[in-house]
Amino acid sequence: MTSLPRANILARVPEPRTGPDVTAMSDWSRVTRPIPVPNEWTKPFWEAAKRGVLALQRCQACKHFQHPPYATCVRCMATDLAFEPVSGAGTIYAYTIMYHAGDKRFAAAIPYASIIVEPDDAPGALLAANLLEAPYTEAKVGRRVEVVFQPLNDDFTLPQFRLARDTR
Amino acid sequence: MWEHRCKVAVSGVGFSRVTRSAEVPLAAHALEAVQGAVADSGLAVSDIDGLATYPELPATGHAVVDGITIVSVNCMMAMLKLSNLSWHVQVETVNIGGAVQQAVNALLAGVCRYAVVWRAMHNPKGTYQNLPGTYAQGPSQFTAPYGFGGPGQGMAVAYTRWLERHGQDREKMATLAVTQRRHSHKNPHAYFCGQPLTREDYLNSRMVAYPFCLYDCDIPVQGAVAIVLTTADRARDLRPRPAYIAGYGQRLAFEVAGRIGSLSSYMEGGRSSSRLTWERSGLSPKDVDVAQIYDGFSASVIYGLESYGFCKEGEALDFIQEGRMELDGELPLNTFGGSLSTGRIHGLWHIIEGALQASGRAGERQVEDVNVSFVGASAPIVQGTTFIFVKEPY
Repeated sequence: MTSLPRANILARVPEPRTGPDVTAMSDWSRVTRPIPVPNEWTKPFWEAAKRGVLALQRCQACKHFQHPPYATCVRCMATDLAFEPVSGAGTIYAYTIMYHAGDKRFAAAIPYASIIVEPDDAPGALLAANLLEAPYTEAKVGRRVEVVFQPLNDDFTLPQFRLARDTR
Repeated sequence: MWEHRCKVAVSGVGFSRVTRSAEVPLAAHALEAVQGAVADSGLAVSDIDGLATYPELPATGHAVVDGITIVSVNCMMAMLKLSNLSWHVQVETVNIGGAVQQAVNALLAGVCRYAVVWRAMHNPKGTYQNLPGTYAQGPSQFTAPYGFGGPGQGMAVAYTRWLERHGQDREKMATLAVTQRRHSHKNPHAYFCGQPLTREDYLNSRMVAYPFCLYDCDIPVQGAVAIVLTTADRARDLRPRPAYIAGYGQRLAFEVAGRIGSLSSYMEGGRSSSRLTWERSGLSPKDVDVAQIYDGFSASVIYGLESYGFCKEGEALDFIQEGRMELDGELPLNTFGGSLSTGRIHGLWHIIEGALQASGRAGERQVEDVNVSFVGASAPIVQGTTFIFVKEPY
């Protein structure tokens, strides 16, 4: 097993509202996020996140990483799958800036960036997240990001992303 | 080429009134549309012996009540009491285009003679995507905690990737919204018929999920549309000129549920569906005289134009400029107004317009000299189907 990535665990308070463009910072302080309900395929992902580790499902036969987790390897059909840590570095594959809250509990954060991250170690795996600690206007396809961990409650921690240290 | 090309045709088409919210139960809209399609064919309701639909309510967090928020095959059977009924189906995948294709297959198999396909859509009170609960189950456990919910965001993320990878400008999409709205003024059934939309309206409208503004999204409505399908030889004896089905296809690619944002998945869905349609019909994009491409969200048209082969990847927003999608343009597009202007009734209206254009029955908005009429009936990845209608069987 490779060495575990450093756990960037955030305190359970929102990111400070400071930075280059405070007006473009999303206010997450009044957002109540839905709580994930793990199943047999996904439980290790959430257990790792709670420990501050980003772990993705990997085919033990062809070594392909995939996300979201699935019953079989979507590349080679093998069923021998296990969760392995990845570095937490990646790029923004795609994003949207939400101005309308389908889920009203997110209304206070509008506008906010929901991003899709492709991890360096797991090409093709696409993780949903929010861009934290930066104005939502900083979300751009191809920008470098790194994982941070945002505790949701005593049981769940969300992997999230912020701009990578060298690009902030 | 497909041995069954041009053996089945669309005959009559029917429309209900389209309202913003539910004033009568949805079953009344569905009945009105079905009766209209049957009458347009010159048939009696008792002649109908096949029924097919895709009844799903795409809104989440609302009760599903048959006859009020959906209209299932069972509901239609109960209303019509068809003494000759011999076949029916309710499809699960590939939306209403799948129901039309199943009806084609049933007619080719000889298990029914006159099939009706309808799509009825309800607009629930309150927020359309009432998302989600306190808990995020299944695939949404990886998306809902991040404020993702509803199909619009899934398509919006793929759209930013498309825009930024190809160095494109979302403002060019104004041409699609404005041109389709102008087309809809020649379609009396369209929700926005007669209500103008300018480029400035588009550019100044509120953002919903960047890059989508309000006018990139179709408007939820309550309404229904329907068609009568029959074999080509029977269709020739009916009142309307038939629109012959020269080929069809459905998307053959599917990614794991919950995977979100993948632009390549849209493209692969569209390529796989259209490849079947081109092969079966023996036709190619350059043969097409008019096209209807599903536009529940505007970016679907981009993925369609590119993955079906009408233009190269990255070029669709340039392709629709310079009058190319006008009624007298190189590729008249969404000539009935599209979902953006008719209201959200899914792809059966695109199929109807494709058939009307092929049979020369599109009235004021009829494109001149149409023989080959193409339809992409749903967003290419999730529920994509494609069709070609022709005026002259071959």
